[in-house]
Amino acid sequence: MSFLALAPILAVVAGALISLLLEAFLGRKGHELSATAAVVSLLAAGYFIVRSWNLELGYFAARLSLDPLALLLMAVFVVLGAFVILMSLAYASRRDIALGQLCGLLLIALAGLMIMVSSTDWLVVFLGLEVLSVASYALTGLRRSDPASSEAAAKYFLMGSFAGAFFVFGLAILFGTSGSMSLASGLSGGGVPSALPAGPAVGLGLIVAALFFKIAVAPFHMWAPDVYEGAPTPVAAFLTIAPKAAGLVVLLRVLAPVLGRGGTAAAVFGPVVSAAAVLTMFAGNLAALRQSSVKRLLAYSAIAHSGYLLVAVAAGDGPGLVFYLIAYLFMNAGAFAVLTALEGDDGGTATLDGLAGLGRRHPALAACLAVFLLSLAGFPPTAGFLAKFYVFSGAVAKGHVVLVVAAVLASLVSVAYYLKVIMVMYMKDAAADLTIGRDEPALWLVVFLCVFGVVQLGLWPGNLLTLIRQGSSGLF
Amino acid sequence: MNGLLPGVPLVTLITFLPLAGALALLFVKPGSDRALRLLALAVSFATLALSLGLFLGFDGASGLPEFVERASWLGRGLDYHVGVDGLSLSLVLLAALLTPIALLSSWRSVDRRVKEFSAFMLLLETGMIGVFVSLNLFLFYVFWEAMLIPMYFLIGIWGGRRRAYATMKFVLFTMSGSLLMLVGIFAIQAANFRATGAYSLTIADLAAAPFAPGLQTWLFLAFGLAFAVKVPLFPLHTWLPDAHVEAPTAASVLLAAVLLKMGAYGFVRLGLPLFPQAAAAFAPALSVLAVIGVVYGGLMALVQKDMKSLVAYSSVSHMGLIMLAVFSLNFEATEGALFQMINHGLSTGALFLCVGILYERTGTRVIADHGGAAARMPIFAGLFLASMLSSAGLPGLNGFAGEILCFFGIFRTSRVMAVLGVSTVILSAVYLLGLYRRVMHGPLKAPGDRRLCDLDRRELAMLVPIVVLMVFLGLFPGTVLRKMDASVSRYLDSLRKQAPVALTSRAPARPPLWSARPAEPER
Repeated sequence: MSFLALAPILAVVAGALISLLLEAFLGRKGHELSATAAVVSLLAAGYFIVRSWNLELGYFAARLSLDPLALLLMAVFVVLGAFVILMSLAYASRRDIALGQLCGLLLIALAGLMIMVSSTDWLVVFLGLEVLSVASYALTGLRRSDPASSEAAAKYFLMGSFAGAFFVFGLAILFGTSGSMSLASGLSGGGVPSALPAGPAVGLGLIVAALFFKIAVAPFHMWAPDVYEGAPTPVAAFLTIAPKAAGLVVLLRVLAPVLGRGGTAAAVFGPVVSAAAVLTMFAGNLAALRQSSVKRLLAYSAIAHSGYLLVAVAAGDGPGLVFYLIAYLFMNAGAFAVLTALEGDDGGTATLDGLAGLGRRHPALAACLAVFLLSLAGFPPTAGFLAKFYVFSGAVAKGHVVLVVAAVLASLVSVAYYLKVIMVMYMKDAAADLTIGRDEPALWLVVFLCVFGVVQLGLWPGNLLTLIRQGSSGLF
Repeated sequence: MNGLLPGVPLVTLITFLPLAGALALLFVKPGSDRALRLLALAVSFATLALSLGLFLGFDGASGLPEFVERASWLGRGLDYHVGVDGLSLSLVLLAALLTPIALLSSWRSVDRRVKEFSAFMLLLETGMIGVFVSLNLFLFYVFWEAMLIPMYFLIGIWGGRRRAYATMKFVLFTMSGSLLMLVGIFAIQAANFRATGAYSLTIADLAAAPFAPGLQTWLFLAFGLAFAVKVPLFPLHTWLPDAHVEAPTAASVLLAAVLLKMGAYGFVRLGLPLFPQAAAAFAPALSVLAVIGVVYGGLMALVQKDMKSLVAYSSVSHMGLIMLAVFSLNFEATEGALFQMINHGLSTGALFLCVGILYERTGTRVIADHGGAAARMPIFAGLFLASMLSSAGLPGLNGFAGEILCFFGIFRTSRVMAVLGVSTVILSAVYLLGLYRRVMHGPLKAPGDRRLCDLDRRELAMLVPIVVLMVFLGLFPGTVLRKMDASVSRYLDSLRKQAPVALTSRAPARPPLWSARPAEPER
């Protein structure tokens, strides 16, 4: 029981309040100040996360527990939050978005995420989920002048509320039948481990469906492309990574013990997760093949990656999941950062044809995007390859051979569209002139850090792997 | 082991020097094409010099990998572990030799984005050499897959009109095989961990403890598909003519001369030693596919109208023969196959260079548009003819030495296959000499074309070394074969130990014809 356990969340929430207040009282002048406040609060949260490493802190009678898994994920969220803020600095003023609001909402969403990944109690998970959701709806609709953004927000809100209702309903059944709100003991309350108590199973099923919705797992993914496409690009980077990561970690915490124990529960939930994984990969990848907007293509690719990540959940492979999420953070945030740079002043997102000749006109930008796409496609020696390697090899070791064969075939499909983008950039001549004369050092910093992360994690991930394995040795 | 330069990590240097060169290229001012080309050429020549040192310093008596370097990389068996043995040594040299030649061939024909082109060529060299020197399965896969990226760009940016289609087909075909190989690697990792309790992906360790027969079958199919696409084995060859026709000359040369060898090398290095029983069981079926490829490739080459696709189909035919020899699983055939890989690399590389030279002068590769070029280009005609005769297996040139070894070996395993396989010699003589007659002899087409001049010094520097090597290896094949002997017999011994039924029980008798040493009776 230590106050330090709450410190990262408190730091972020304080940052959010300060950002919003600065925005409210100083108006336009407060933009940069509130962004600074947000970054500072993220730095403080990062400091507290590092301080808490290996201390196994808990709070609220251990309902919040900062185990290594939670801390690693919190670190991912902090880095992602910093990336998103840096990406938005110039973007927000260009697009008439109130930067202070963006920072404030983003930090609130981060607080929700941190609560989600660190809680061991269903009710607290729900609390985090709702904090995250409300903030994300608002973030999606930030570009008020843009009907697409508003439509995306409305869609996200409706579907999200629906999923939230599922979650609460499942939670009620689970609590009513098992009498426990603990994440770990959801299905073991019945006594006989091999038996599947019907009530908790139904409850858990509803909760899993709600989480699938948040992670954008087929067949609950229909909202995702529209929302990712309609949201402001830096926010889309956030939405494609963060809620997914948190949802997957919650799923892992719940399902890993269930699947690992075997018995009827595993026989029911195991195939469900595997089937959802396969469905998601193919739904995402096949739809991405037909896209002409790069942002929408990346949106579908994000869905496909949910599928690969579910493979790690199906195998109960915590370290693999975390490594994949960290690699995915760099490659996806990087791709969206490049997309932010490419977006025209008129608000149009880059189309595939619009990228023609980018390799000529902006060699550095094109090369970075190529690195991110190759990493997303899983080519060595990038982080994406090692991430897939660890997740898939872990799954084969657990006997999920068919699942992994499906996964590699799905990634073969994905190669086609990732390479299509690269081909257009390098192998077609420019149709229209795409000028990116803007000087955005913050955005370049994000792109550079992401390239660095992708290459570093692809070649020398040693330190991070040690950290992940050391942290997860007691957990999985 | 490293007697030549003690303490120098020679293999690592050879592998990563081109990569360092590619990175260095990025810092050269973009406008200075000549400086870029010279730098890339210098780096590739330095790599060649180091590889020659490696070849000379290689002892080969033990049959074990030499110049071994090992370092922990990612942990859990994913180590950095490189070295060369008799199976890989000459292929490293081949890759190192052909890269500078390919760079020379692009001196004038590639005038756009020279910096990227040179960088990708050097990256490709790192990838190719890396595949050959890897002694760890994971490292092998990393190089195998990473090599696709530069090739993808080389065809996609500097290729012909249908380059987008061709390059996508190339990547998707290759990856469909290699991704299943990746699943195979996962299964190996898991099975090996269950069996020994430790993580190891060292190829030699895995070969020493074979897997259960059922697992072997699946693994062999997964690995075999990846290699068969690359070879390419009939009916997985359809990507090859497309890729070749669209690729720039330099990429064609490396694709035909080195990349195809990776498939065959994959079978010899991994497919057979790791899964000996499955390989022995599948060998007859794969031999049938190989022999179909021999005949089919030869027949297709007969009717091609484009010079490049003719040479591409001749590759299908010749690689079929190499695969037939590999699956014959005896000493002569295996050594012949390895030697023939070098020969095919040299002769096909030279043929693609010749086609490229003609194309640069006339702007067309259609055979019917050419004629009588020999009158204007006598030196070229001689070198072109020598390359063809090497490819067709004229005695005295390297192609004959390799093919005869292959046929001796194939004959010992299956006479029918040997008879069918010999058709490659007849067919290749027909289509290659037919090509030569139509292009070089007869009335001069486009007689006013002043561009149809003979070779300049740069082009001589490309072709002459290859032709000299053809003659040298035709007369003294022992220089290369000697280095292979011990490794090949080690390789066959390990196969024989684990799948004794399917392999010939007779003691291998080496034809003493070209052996520099007296033939050894028993191995």
